[in-house]
Amino acid sequence: MDFVRNFPFISIILSLFSGPLSSILSGKWAKRINTAVIAVIGVMSACVLAYVAGTGEEFIYYMGHFPAPWGNEIRVGELEAFMAVFFCIIMLLCMLGGMKERLTQIEESKQNLYYIMVNLLLCSLLALIYTNDLFTAYVFVEINTISACGLIMIRQNGRTFEAAIRYMIMSLLGSGLLLLGLCFLYSVTGHLLMSNIQQQVRLLTAMGEYHIPLMVALCLMSVGLAIKSALYPFHSWLPDAYGYSTVSSAAILSSLVSKGYIFLLIKIFYRVIGFDIICESKVIHVLYVFGIMGMIMGSVSAIREDNIRRMIAYSSVAQVGYIYMGLGLGTEAGVVASIYHVLSHAATKSLLFVAASGLTDASGGSVRFKDLRGAGYRHKLAGIAFMVGSLSMVGLPMFSGFISKLLFSQEAVGHTHKMLPTLIALAVSTVLNAVYFMKTVISIYMPPGEEVELAESRNIAMREQPGKSVALVCFIILNLIMGLNSEPIIHLIETGLGMFR
Amino acid sequence: MNPWILLSVALPSVAGILLLAVSFGEYIRGSEKAFTRGVQVYTAAALALSASVSLYTAWQGEKECSLFEWLDGILVYFRIDALGRLMVTAVSIAWLLIGFYSLAYMGHEGKETRYFGFYLLLYGILTGLSFSGNLVTMYFFYELMTLVSMPLVLHSGSREAVMAALKYLFYSMCGAYCGLFGMVFLYRYCHTLDFTAGGALNLAAVQGHEGILLTAVFVMILGFGAKAGMLPLHSWLPAAHPVAPSPASALLSGTIVKFGALAVIRTVYYVVGPGFLRGTWVQYVWMVLALLTVFMGSLLAYREPVLKKRLAYSTVSQVSYILFGISLLVPDAVEGALLHMVVHAFVKCGLFLTAGVFIYRFGYTRVDRLGGLGRKMPVTLWCYTVFALALTGIPPTGGFVSKWYLAEGALQSGIPVFSWLGPVVLLVSALLTAGYLFPVTIKGFFPGEEKDPGNGAKEEPSPLMLIPLMVLAALALLLGIMPNPLIRYISQITLEVFS
Repeated sequence: MDFVRNFPFISIILSLFSGPLSSILSGKWAKRINTAVIAVIGVMSACVLAYVAGTGEEFIYYMGHFPAPWGNEIRVGELEAFMAVFFCIIMLLCMLGGMKERLTQIEESKQNLYYIMVNLLLCSLLALIYTNDLFTAYVFVEINTISACGLIMIRQNGRTFEAAIRYMIMSLLGSGLLLLGLCFLYSVTGHLLMSNIQQQVRLLTAMGEYHIPLMVALCLMSVGLAIKSALYPFHSWLPDAYGYSTVSSAAILSSLVSKGYIFLLIKIFYRVIGFDIICESKVIHVLYVFGIMGMIMGSVSAIREDNIRRMIAYSSVAQVGYIYMGLGLGTEAGVVASIYHVLSHAATKSLLFVAASGLTDASGGSVRFKDLRGAGYRHKLAGIAFMVGSLSMVGLPMFSGFISKLLFSQEAVGHTHKMLPTLIALAVSTVLNAVYFMKTVISIYMPPGEEVELAESRNIAMREQPGKSVALVCFIILNLIMGLNSEPIIHLIETGLGMFR
Repeated sequence: MNPWILLSVALPSVAGILLLAVSFGEYIRGSEKAFTRGVQVYTAAALALSASVSLYTAWQGEKECSLFEWLDGILVYFRIDALGRLMVTAVSIAWLLIGFYSLAYMGHEGKETRYFGFYLLLYGILTGLSFSGNLVTMYFFYELMTLVSMPLVLHSGSREAVMAALKYLFYSMCGAYCGLFGMVFLYRYCHTLDFTAGGALNLAAVQGHEGILLTAVFVMILGFGAKAGMLPLHSWLPAAHPVAPSPASALLSGTIVKFGALAVIRTVYYVVGPGFLRGTWVQYVWMVLALLTVFMGSLLAYREPVLKKRLAYSTVSQVSYILFGISLLVPDAVEGALLHMVVHAFVKCGLFLTAGVFIYRFGYTRVDRLGGLGRKMPVTLWCYTVFALALTGIPPTGGFVSKWYLAEGALQSGIPVFSWLGPVVLLVSALLTAGYLFPVTIKGFFPGEEKDPGNGAKEEPSPLMLIPLMVLAALALLLGIMPNPLIRYISQITLEVFS
């Protein structure tokens, strides 16, 4: 069974090399390879998860059997393995759901490029999840950025170019700040390996030295990753990037890419600096305040939106706000709630993007609300799926969104200072969510207005888009599982976080 | 594990979902007319079957059933107790009668398949809500209730209806979130969230946190009060009622708002316990809000020319009678509140159904158009008169008994000022009630000279619509003439709660 220990490394390498391989293949074969790679990695990660859960402790894998500081380290715990499995599932479903759009929206000669990007993205996500080395993390953050830009830009119209360039600039700013922070840490501690840095940081804090440089490094890294994951004041790149790119890109970007950075930040909190030191610092309060602002402002912007894709995109800003708010609570249970929300949001947001694309298909490709009237009847499964996603976002019991909201509020109740703002922000944001999501649900079930050209909108049967139908059904099931049977997942997150220490 | 409880929740839900799937899938074969007829027969059969299953389950005795563990240590858990049994019985009777009425009425509104689908589904959810054994299960069904009752408001699909439905949704969502907010606190400060008569507060844990807990309970009362139309979250009621089809308004007013009151009762008497709230600011503010709502609702109803809107304001006022009774925290008042819950359920259903008859037959919505109807439809108008008498509280109708107990309870409570202010407000509001309900009767039977009496032909609605009205009127009278069995049953509940 010890062979399983190689799997994380093999999955990273597999996805890394399937990228270049795709460049010499045709689009069709690139797609097959891509699907196979994601599936295989998913299965391997599941094996790793089973192995880690079986042994009950994390393991460290030395690449090439060179111990650090010469070799590179991969660290695998329960949470990491679970994240890898989950990301693979979501990615597979996103790719499945956007299959038809990719065929029409991407030029014939560039089909295989898309799969290169996806493979590289998966590789970098896995590396971000598994790595135990800050510099490796930085390298893969850059790979992630580049491939994400490619995913946005590959649907070639003016808006996506602009969006990609904006994303590139903001993202590079983010990685730049991360790099700066990393350099600070390196020069203060003399290490790049997470566990070594933590030892040194503990030592330095105990001696009371280098307090300010450490805090500066922490700030830089937090802000850098916050920019990349679209925390509220740094979210300006997001609506265009999610709103105009092809649907599988939007779904992957919103549910996986930003979540990868958040996971890295959590790792930095726990494994690089040490969670208790983080909690004593003021950084956590800043993240908390930004998170709360994001929860409200994201929803407000979403309400004003007339375009269903951009509305969902803005809702992501609000949801990322939730996650940072949970981190900002500065307790272990708050982080558990945040991670649960990462999962729940990943499952729901990609569902919404895929469902919305189904609805727009049935409305002659228009994304305006007035054209979407009655779309729920024209594409039935997409209508139901969109409703499920909306209800989950609003936080109705039975769906995953409710559980994360409950976890947040349960945790907030125990807090002395942050209790009231958290609960009020949750309440306001819930109501705002209800405003725009239920408005959309009602409008897709309204009889169409007269101004809609009947020729453009047409009925779409489930059989017509098998990939999307399967993806939607799976997403709905995933949401229900996370809403009704959340206990094992929460438990897993808790033990996984326990292994972080 | 008791299969009957599950069956009584699942049967109507599944029947409703099947019907919705049919309406959604547009798998209509054969002629439209035969299809509608089929839907009607199916609905009637499903309704009768599920009502009998629910009633049988409810009266089987104390039964419980835990479904599965939903959250850490929180089960989806059903338990039948005396209060739940009362609710299920009242709801089932209302549902059967309104159901048969709708069979005739909905032909006039269209989209019957969808309507009946939601109608059946909602019945299952309300059964689940009544049988809920802990706060979390109740919350779960409470949210579902909002969601499933919304399409009934939305039925016509007009812009007005959409806005009203959205308003209904937001008020309910705000309310439900307030409930959830309080629940999170109660989870920390209670031994259990399972409903235990008299409350399950962990007094040791509460020590020193009374202020925050009182606030939480207050927020919960406000939140669940939104569904019951209590100030300040009442304004969805007058918006939602006029746009919904009449039987749907009857459901909303007759049954669904009662579940707001039920949620408050469950919170106050079954989780927190009345002793904790007695004499606190929460009780006083609550009483003030309830009395204000009683008065204001009646006043607004008095000034309202559209009949269904007038009835909606009247609901705002009448349901706050119930909340006022609950807020007094003494046995007699709670007894009165529960009695009023039953009486008002039947009476308000009846009133909305009569308003529906007027709309169905003549398309009249405003009160001033309703002159001279006594000659055209005497039976309907007599039923209306009985309902009006009952709502005003004139013997020998059910309303008299419930209001008697409410006033009695208020006087006995010994709370300064409120013990006499309460009955005074109730009396004034009763006067206003008479003022806004009786003009229809008076103008109906005595139109004066300016109205055209018609050619004297009878224009009574079909028996399918008339019989439910007559049954409801009979019930309203029966509860006034022989209230003792019901009072004895309800006093069991209060005895349990206050022991």
